[in-house]
Amino acid sequence: MMNDMLMNLLYCLGQAMILLLLAPMVSGIVKKLKAFMQNRIGSSIFQEYFDIYKWWRKPTMLTPHTSIVFILAPCVYFITTLAAASMLPNFIGGKANFGDVFVFVYLFALGRFFMAVSSMDAATAFGGMGGSREVYIAAFVEPVIMLGILSNVLHTGSTSLSGMTLNPSEVNLTVAGVLTAVAFFLVMLAENARIPVDNPDTHLELTMVHECMTLEYSGRLLSLIHWASQLKLLVFLLIFSLLYFPFNLPLVVKVLIGAAGIAVMETLNNKMRLFKVRIYLAAAGIMMLLAVVAR
Amino acid sequence: MVMHVKPENLRGAANICGDGGKHPLAAMFGVDETHRGGGLAIYCLFYNKEKRTLDTVKAEFPADGPLNYPCLTTLLPAAAWYERELHDMFGFVPEGHPDLRPLVLHETFPKGFHPLLKRFNANFQVRGNREYEMAAANGEGLFEVPVGPIHAGIIEPGHFRFSQAGESMLQLDAKLFFTHRGIEKAVEGKTPMEALHIVERICGACTVANTLSFCQAVEKLSDVEVPKRAWLIRTLAAELERLYNHVGDTGNVCAGVGFSPVISMGSRLKEYLMQLDEVLAGNRFLRGLIVPGGVKYDVDDHILEEIEEVLREVEREYATIEHIMWEQNNFINRVRTTGIIKSKTAFDLAMVGVGARASGMERDSRKDMGYGIYDEFDFELVTEQSGDVEARIKVRIAEVAESLKIVRQAINALRYDNSKELLVDLGTLRTLEGSWGISESARGDNVHWLMLDEEGRIDRLFVRSASYPNWPALTIAVQGDIIPDFPLINKSFELCYACLDR
Repeated sequence: MMNDMLMNLLYCLGQAMILLLLAPMVSGIVKKLKAFMQNRIGSSIFQEYFDIYKWWRKPTMLTPHTSIVFILAPCVYFITTLAAASMLPNFIGGKANFGDVFVFVYLFALGRFFMAVSSMDAATAFGGMGGSREVYIAAFVEPVIMLGILSNVLHTGSTSLSGMTLNPSEVNLTVAGVLTAVAFFLVMLAENARIPVDNPDTHLELTMVHECMTLEYSGRLLSLIHWASQLKLLVFLLIFSLLYFPFNLPLVVKVLIGAAGIAVMETLNNKMRLFKVRIYLAAAGIMMLLAVVAR
Repeated sequence: MVMHVKPENLRGAANICGDGGKHPLAAMFGVDETHRGGGLAIYCLFYNKEKRTLDTVKAEFPADGPLNYPCLTTLLPAAAWYERELHDMFGFVPEGHPDLRPLVLHETFPKGFHPLLKRFNANFQVRGNREYEMAAANGEGLFEVPVGPIHAGIIEPGHFRFSQAGESMLQLDAKLFFTHRGIEKAVEGKTPMEALHIVERICGACTVANTLSFCQAVEKLSDVEVPKRAWLIRTLAAELERLYNHVGDTGNVCAGVGFSPVISMGSRLKEYLMQLDEVLAGNRFLRGLIVPGGVKYDVDDHILEEIEEVLREVEREYATIEHIMWEQNNFINRVRTTGIIKSKTAFDLAMVGVGARASGMERDSRKDMGYGIYDEFDFELVTEQSGDVEARIKVRIAEVAESLKIVRQAINALRYDNSKELLVDLGTLRTLEGSWGISESARGDNVHWLMLDEEGRIDRLFVRSASYPNWPALTIAVQGDIIPDFPLINKSFELCYACLDR
């Protein structure tokens, strides 16, 4: 019994590590696809690894105004994201069943809380703006995600992530299934700082959300934040594939379709007005609500 | 027309010359004549499109007298920046000026330092002690956001200070002139031909406009006519410059909202056009083509054909860009009602170019002044009424079509023009006489004012670039919008920093 649990734990950790190693490549693939659709050549899909390595070797500069929170926040953000990754339904084996979905959602919230707090720590105007925008968006994202979960819980009768995973042979082309899939995709864009909500490769300080919060970071702390953000994107793509994707396809294909979807959305759209984000998220929320009703 | 007045009568003269606000202020600058036994003088140029000229008012300050005069800013808001610059560069004191903070000279310059005075020693080591206060709003819950001068993109230096109430911008103050090059000082004592190479490099994107204004100012001091073929080639170059600017800027506006496909397409088309410029002038910025008295190189049928071919391609793809932009609701939502300049504001600030025309001001020096041979071409003056980002984009798009029309007419005229004369000798230029030149750059009209000393060398060159009157307008346009919209509003004006750093 004890042995089993240890084995499962090891499986979970191993899975989190694999995801951590793959995450930069997935972000690189999204970038490459975007470049392709925008008539550009783009950087290699492995560029993100080089970037992380580059930042890792650079010294970390801290302003004298910062407190311990500033150093703690990237670590918490990284660890909570890693923990969330380990809770995903095991696809390399193992039968762990301790991935409660509420813990999963609030692990991300914890990471975000620390990032928002740290954004104000350096006392720059940009950091505070980024933090306030992030929390503003999060306030609309969270209920939508909870509704989505509720819809899935009603469908599968379980609140553990592995229990909620769709049966691979099941084709979930019901009204509720499609609505949750579309709504979750919209939320995924908002949650991962993607166009039309945020712009991941903007250099325009004034319009950024997520990048605004990380402006004061450098060196290893910055590489942790970027790596965690890439992992977060991959985790969301996996959740999208495992819980909401309405067709039965191999997991890798589903993830790649999700990544391509992001690239398409980012190419076809421009960034919306900041105060229109709530309307966008309200639309996703209503779809989720309809899905719950349709169950 | 030149009106000579005493300093205390400058306000009255400005009111008469400006016809109570009918003719906007086009430029205002100082001239130091102390080395000739005179005093200092302030010149005001008014844009009189009825008479197609710039009316001049000259306020003469007695030598060794005080440099105080009643300010023009309270009468003509457009004079605000000019008077601050006069205060910095010459030490004039406009009395009653509401905001006499430094403009050009930053903290690094000591007090009482006036570089455009003739007695100023250029080898003087500057070590500053002055203050450069930024305008900001104070109050509970209000905060300031400093941006720049170093930006995340590859752009020129400029510091912006936003006073914020949450996401809303209450006030914006811009600190520019970071890379002041002392060009107006550097050309003093040079012959016009020597100065030409410096003038060409005031700004990369307005090379032709700056050169054209300068050449016209020089040519007005001679009685020789510039040959028609030279003007055809000049017009061709000027419109090609406008095209690459407008096309590139259309794509660039979209960078403000992260609309990637249009950004890429705009850059690509701009690149085609700049390569075309290389065919015409041997370099991508059309430098070295236009000189006082005409142009240096002729165009042959081969080049004309190539221009026509590239422009056909650009026109086709530009239509695609336009189509993509206006079918995107999300994009329209961002640009409509954002960054509004009302037409009254545009007029008060004497705005120029796309910014002015998007606010309903009918001002285009190609039509108004009819310089060169623009009167012979058929093209429209495009205006929009709403004054927002959308209007500025629309004006730009429509002007691309008009420019294409002009280029095609110029190409046809060049084909059927058998004259071979490109360059004339201007002979001896008249000295100690002020002369101005104007040309329409992609950003608006560009004014140069020139006076030669007894030996025919430059005594004073004043450059009023098109960006100069529009920068203060930008700080007005953003008020009430939210700060994430600033990059978009900024890019819709597409103002130039180098044009100020002259």
